[in-house]
Parts: sequence; structure tokens; C-alpha cells
Amino acid sequence: MTAVHVTINGKAVADDVPPRLSLADFLRERRNLTGTHLGCEHGVCGACTVLVDGELARSCLMLAAACDERSVETIEGFAEDAVMDALRRSFHQHHALQCGFCTPAMLITARDLILRRRAGSEREIRDGLAGNICRCTGYTNIVTAIAAAAEEIARETSNA
Amino acid sequence: MPDDIRGVGASLLRREDERHLHGRGQFVSDVKLPGTMDVAFVRSPHAHARVKSISIPPEARGLVFTAADLPRVKPIRVTSHSTGAKSPPWPPLATDKVRYVGEAIAACIAPSRGEAEDLAAAVMVDFAVLEPVIDPPRDMRGSRHPVHEQWGDNLYIEHALEGGDVEAAARAADVTVTRQFRMQRQSGAPLECRGVLAYRDHRLDEVVVLASTQTPHTVRVALAEILDLEERRIRVIAPDVGGGFGPKARLYPEEIILTALALELDHPVRWIEDRNEHLLTTAHTRDHHYNVTAYADRQGRILGVDAEIIVDAGAYGLWPQGPYHEAGMVARALPGPYTIPNYRARHYTVATNKTPLGPYRGVGRPGACFAIERLIDEIARAVGREPNEVRALNLVRPEEMPFTTIGGLRLDNGNYPESVRLCAELLDTPAIRSRQRRGEPDGRVIGIGFATFAEQTAHGAAEFAARGASIIPGYESCTARVLTDGSVVLMVGIQSHGQGLETVLSQVAAEELGIDPARISVRHGDTESTAFGFGTFASRSMVMSGGAVARASRMLRDKLCRIGAHLLQCDVAEVRCADGVVSGPQGSVSIAEIAKVAYLRMDGLPAGVDPLLDATATYEPAISTGVFSYATHGAVVAVDPETGFVELLDYAVAEDCGTMVNPLLVEGQIRGGVVQGIGTALYEEIPYDETGQPLAGTLADYLLPGAVEMPAIKIGHLHTPTPHTEYGMKGMGEGGAVAPPAAIANAVRDALSAIGAPGGIEVNETPITPRRVMGAIRKARGA
Repeated sequence: MTAVHVTINGKAVADDVPPRLSLADFLRERRNLTGTHLGCEHGVCGACTVLVDGELARSCLMLAAACDERSVETIEGFAEDAVMDALRRSFHQHHALQCGFCTPAMLITARDLILRRRAGSEREIRDGLAGNICRCTGYTNIVTAIAAAAEEIARETSNA
Repeated sequence: MPDDIRGVGASLLRREDERHLHGRGQFVSDVKLPGTMDVAFVRSPHAHARVKSISIPPEARGLVFTAADLPRVKPIRVTSHSTGAKSPPWPPLATDKVRYVGEAIAACIAPSRGEAEDLAAAVMVDFAVLEPVIDPPRDMRGSRHPVHEQWGDNLYIEHALEGGDVEAAARAADVTVTRQFRMQRQSGAPLECRGVLAYRDHRLDEVVVLASTQTPHTVRVALAEILDLEERRIRVIAPDVGGGFGPKARLYPEEIILTALALELDHPVRWIEDRNEHLLTTAHTRDHHYNVTAYADRQGRILGVDAEIIVDAGAYGLWPQGPYHEAGMVARALPGPYTIPNYRARHYTVATNKTPLGPYRGVGRPGACFAIERLIDEIARAVGREPNEVRALNLVRPEEMPFTTIGGLRLDNGNYPESVRLCAELLDTPAIRSRQRRGEPDGRVIGIGFATFAEQTAHGAAEFAARGASIIPGYESCTARVLTDGSVVLMVGIQSHGQGLETVLSQVAAEELGIDPARISVRHGDTESTAFGFGTFASRSMVMSGGAVARASRMLRDKLCRIGAHLLQCDVAEVRCADGVVSGPQGSVSIAEIAKVAYLRMDGLPAGVDPLLDATATYEPAISTGVFSYATHGAVVAVDPETGFVELLDYAVAEDCGTMVNPLLVEGQIRGGVVQGIGTALYEEIPYDETGQPLAGTLADYLLPGAVEMPAIKIGHLHTPTPHTEYGMKGMGEGGAVAPPAAIANAVRDALSAIGAPGGIEVNETPITPRRVMGAIRKARGA
């Protein structure tokens, strides 16, 4: 067992974990944060995407033990996050989800694209989603929803 | 609430979204029960072998279960009433023999999946390897070691379908076109793999099975039969299902074994399929071989078609329909929506040492469409016309409807030629043609291609009985209940695998009851809380379940009106139910007030009216051979003749599914289907090597379409309500996936005509990978 101290969605958590436990299994099985989904467990589908120290990470490929003294954000977090709020509204408005399995990771990836100013065009958004597979929507509505949220955020920023 | 904007026809936003947007969906793997043990399976590494012995290390005793440890488990066995159908028994855990890589041999339990996999790795199985059957055209009549040795050959079933006189068509033809087509084996690959959680409920003396399935009620039927357990003691729940697309509409060995383990052990057991297991063991799809000849006159009018169809169905038949429907569906759909007068199809369903074949969005139709639509384009070239002229020449015209095709499908209505025209317009075909003449600055060649199809939807008793099915999914059910405060619960036998039924079924009830859909709950996917239903597949859910909701809601509306009229002291003929009230000439009474009387103040009920507001109805369309949606798809591609890489530049769909209950969701279904069809056309493939090893075991080998490669998909609608269903709606869930392989192959063919090889360059096999494109170019150049 390895001791880890990790901040999850703003709360400090301490646990002893088996060395081979993935971050995804740690979040899902030990913290009951089941919004982080597992679609392939080998880093291709992107459904397990979370933020580790503010950067996108595949939680299926990362060990929980490697998150000691780090900060993790999952879909259950992002309270009062203006970009996430705009994305959630926009995904709903544009029918950008069907089964919902890819949705949490899509939202986290899209938020990252908007914050890094990589959601300025359809091409940019599509390239930015290269690591997230959706099997239901055909992507069109996801791309539209992200573009609309990015515009909304840009408007609010320029008005502020 | 003005019900005209929230009922049938409204693009109502989805009620399902809220939970998923916050990560609060509840998929099987999200459900936590104290004391749950994880299960990992020992699986066959061989395609075909005799199991000589299984040795379990002493420390694993009691934690590893083989077939011998679970004597109550009987083999899966599909019944078919089709002439000559052979049905092999399938032990959920292998006994004497394994017949495909991935077949389950033993179940191992441990506190975590990782530890369960450690146990599985410690189990030693001694195999005697047999020669595998992997080549259906070669092996169907027999092989050294048949898949099911008692058969002698490797044929599940062979049939012929014949109409008119194809020999006469051959003699009369000016043009004869013969082609071989191949649609490779693939996976349905929903993003959520399968999963099962099973436990004993001692209070109710039942076993509860949560499974990622499209068909909870029929899974319960099968579990009761196979485990010899009364149905009342089994509850099956499909919670949120992360996509199904067909493969999850079948019973699987894991569902049986987990239920059996839960009955043996005093703690919950859970098996969550990983992606490698999914690609090895969840139903594979497609895998068709075609040899087709079309006969035409010099205008391009098709006089006859002669087809040989071989389906590689894998090692066993998946319950309930087995391997029998795929090839028959191909044979009947292959003549398409065309007025072909003469037809012959011989079709063969072959057992091989591969993963069992099952349904996937479109089932046999994508292959049938690929074959006939490629032939249409080749006939056009042979007679020197534009493919869409030949398409329109042969399509059934609106005034000929209803029309029964030579394949035996009764098309109910619609304007098929108009869909061709509209699709060509959506892609601005003249602009593409002039761009082709100018040429591309980067050396690539571009092309445009089309494909038209009819999609049989919401077929019921007549259709499935004709297929020889022993289970006939001919109806859906709904129990509608108005509660004491006027809010409504719909309990439906259907199941939603993510397409939005909670939203659209509430729209139907809102339409009939005049109640805001926000006050209506929809419960589905639970054998405990809903009347029997077959589940979601065959583009049937909206028509069948929507029809049941409409009928049950109208029964309630009639009762609300009777009680309301009594309270308003007027005649029932004078009241109407809308906007949350029953109103008469002198005033109105709210549905909540009526509900209070029906449940709590029965002294206010009129004579002869029973308490409760609770109605159960079933529904099957007036015609049970199906109602037909249709569409023309068009693709614009750029092909790099140096690498063979195909880029999709544009894609359009012109479709007609009758009345759209929720146009926003209809378009979501179309786009999702198209992208899955693009996967079939360009990327997805599970090849097998000569030893029967599948060569795609991860998403790094098995390529799914991503956002980067997909174009935005244009959609145009035609609207021809059918007279045979509630509101005139037709099913439409699968159609998007049917035409992309054909449209894209036709576009690639068009693009490669610029290279100028004599006779042109064709790719008649999916997926159209760079390797296959380069192979076709080299072959045409004689290199």
C-alpha cells in the first residue's frame, strides 16, 4: 500500500492505495465519483478524462499513487465555474449528448479548449476533440455546442 | 402550457441531459453494493480446441467456477422454425470444446477486478488444438474439423428467394454487370461495454440482475428457462445504458453465469466487461460476402438481379433470434426500393470459429445497400449515364405506392426519387462537377457518390413469424398512471439505450393528456415496474412504445373526462381535456382535483366508474410487416492517389420518416447513425488470421470515427406520414448507418475515374482503407 494525499474537487483526501490502482479506479471505487467513465482503459477513448493540477489527464493511464500531493478535478466538481456552466447549458440546448457516457469527459476537454483559446473555429474544435470518442452523436452537435459556449464566454469576457 | 409546442412535433430539449451533464448518470458499473465481489473470466486463447482439463491452484479453490461447479446452468439454445435451420447448444461456460477466441471457460471472483484477473491467470487449461473454420466460402460445405462436428458441414441454414424469371432477364439484357462485394466483420462498440451486477434479495426471495442490455424483459425469460427458476423470482434492471446499437439486444453467457453465481454465493457479484473482452466476445456484426450479377437494358433499367450471399455467423447463435435473420434480411433488402422485376438470391449462413454474429444498427441492410447501390453506379457507367439518372429511372415512383418489391418488402408510401434530387441539391452537385474539372492543387482527386435505401421499421408479428422466429416482438406496452396530485408516471416495457425515449414518450402522453411533459415521469428498463416489452431494436421503439403510450394515455383521458363531466355536472360529450384541466360549458376542473376524487374521495365518482387512474395498453401498428422510412445519402470525398487516404469533404442525407415526434432528436439519430456507417465504410474492421486469432483487440487496432475526420452532416427532410401508425410516424433509428458504405464507395469510384485507368478503379470491400485503395489502383494499372 502507498499513502496518498490528494485534493479532489477542492477537498483534501488521504488514503492508502495498492501501487497498481489507477486514478480512475481510485475515483470511482474508493471516492464514489462515478462520473469519470471507463470506455477502453488503454488511453484511446478519452471517457476517463479529468484534470490533474489543472491539465487534462487520462485517469485510466495514471496511477493513484502518482497523484500524491496533487490536485484532481472531476465532473462532479467545477462548482460555480462559468465556462463549465456555459458548456452544460449549451450541450443541453444543442442536443450534444445521447447516452451520456462520453459527456463528462467531453465537457472537461471542451472547457480546456475554451480556456486555452483553442475553440475559435469548427476545425480547431474538431482537432481539439481528437482524443475523445463519442459513439452516439456523430459529433456535429458537440462541435456546435462548444462553439456556442465559446462565443458566449468570449462575449462575456469582452463585456466585463 | 400550450400543448402544441410540447407535444408531438416539438423539438423539446431532453430531460435525460441534466444527470449526465453532472456525471450523475447511473450505469451498471456505477452501482455500489456492500460486499460486492468482482468477476473475471478465464477465456479461450484458441479458436478451436478440445478442453482436456482445467486445473485450479489450491489457493484458488472456491473462488473459481467452471461448468462443473454450476450444474443448474443449461446451455443456451435458440429455436428457429425456419426449414433446415440447425441450432447448436452453447454452454455458457465451455465444457468439452471451445469454438472461438474469447469463449468463457471459468469465472473467478475476488474483491477487485485486478485480483480476479490474477486468479484467472493462475488457472491452467490443457487444450488439444483443432483446425479452425475461418473461410466461409471454402468451408461451408465441410471442413476437417467442423465447428459443430455432429453436423458434417458448417451451415446454420441455406435458403433461396426467387421472383420472376432471372434467366429470361439475362437473355433480354443489353448490359450485364457482375461484381464481388465484401463487408468485413466489425464490432458495435458502444462506448460503455457490457456489464452485469447480480445479488440476492432475501426479503423478496428473488435474484436481482442489473445488466447493460437493450432487452431486460426477454433476458428474464431466458434466465428463468436456462437456470430453471420461476420468473417471479428474477428481476432484471437495465439502468442507464451507454449505447447499445444492437449487440446489447441479445442474451450473453455472462448474464447467465453472474445470475447463477449470485444464487450460489451470499454476496453480490459484478462483472464489468473491458474493451478487450468487448472486441472478443460481444456480438460481432456484418461480415458478408456477395457475388451479384445485374442485368439491364441500354437505358439502364434493371431487368433482373442474381445474387449469392454468404454470411459468416461465427461459432454459436445468440439468443433469441440466433444467426438466422441476417442473410435472409440481406436477400430481401438487396433489390432495394427499385422496380426490379426478376430476382434470385441464394443465401448461406455459415458457422465459423469466430465470435458469434449479432445485430448492429441496420443489421443486413448496409451490406445489401452496398451491393445494389454499387451495381446501380456500374450499370450507369456501362450505359453512359449519370448514376442518379439510373437511380431515378429504377426507383419506385410515388404513384406506384404501396409497392411490394421483388424482395417481398411492402413499401407503404413516400417520394423516393425526390430524396435523390434533394440530396444532390444539398451537396451542390454541379459545383462538385466543375471543381472536378478544374482539378485539385494538391494532386488529390475528388468524387461524389450517392445511395438510396428503404428501411423497414417497427415490423411486428407478421414479419417475425415469416422469419421463423420463436420469440415474436410484435408489440410494446405502457402502463400510464395519474397520481393524486395530477402528476403522471408512464411505465413502459421498452428500454432506452440513450436515444431519448424518456423525453419523447413524455411528449406523446402530453399530447394526449394535455399535461406539461415536465410533470410526466417515464420509467423503463425494469421488469419489476413495467409491463412486458421486448426492448429497443429494429427501429421499433418510437412507433411501438409511442403507440402504447398514446393508447394508455387516451384510456386515462377518457376516464378523466367521465369523472370531470360528473364533477362539472355536464355530459361527457361536452368536455375536453387540455392544458391540465377538463373543461365543460360552465367551467373547468383540474386534473389534480379529478385525481383526488379518483383516489381519495371516491364519493365524488360517477356511478359505474371505478377508483384509480391507471391504464395498461399494448400497441402494434395496423400493419405488422413494417412501415418504411427511406433516404438518399450523398458523400463528397478526396482521395490521395499516392497514399490511398480518403478524406470526407461533405456528407448529406435527404430522408423521410413520416411524422417526427421530436425533430431535434430525429436529427441526432440520423447524424449518429451516419457516423457509425462512416466507421463501417472507412475504418472499422476485425480481421482474423489463418489460426482464427482476431487481430483487433484494442481501440488502437479497432479504429472508431473521431471528430477530426467527420464532416458536419447536412440533413434535408421530406414528410410523408404513414397511415398505419399513431400520428403517422415511422421508425428511423437505424437508417443513418445503412447507406454510408455505399455512398462513400460510389464517391471513391467517381474520384478514381480521374486517374484514367481503363475500366476505372473500384473498391468493393469495406472498410475502404488506404491499403485497399492502393491495391485497387495498382491492380487497375496492372502493376
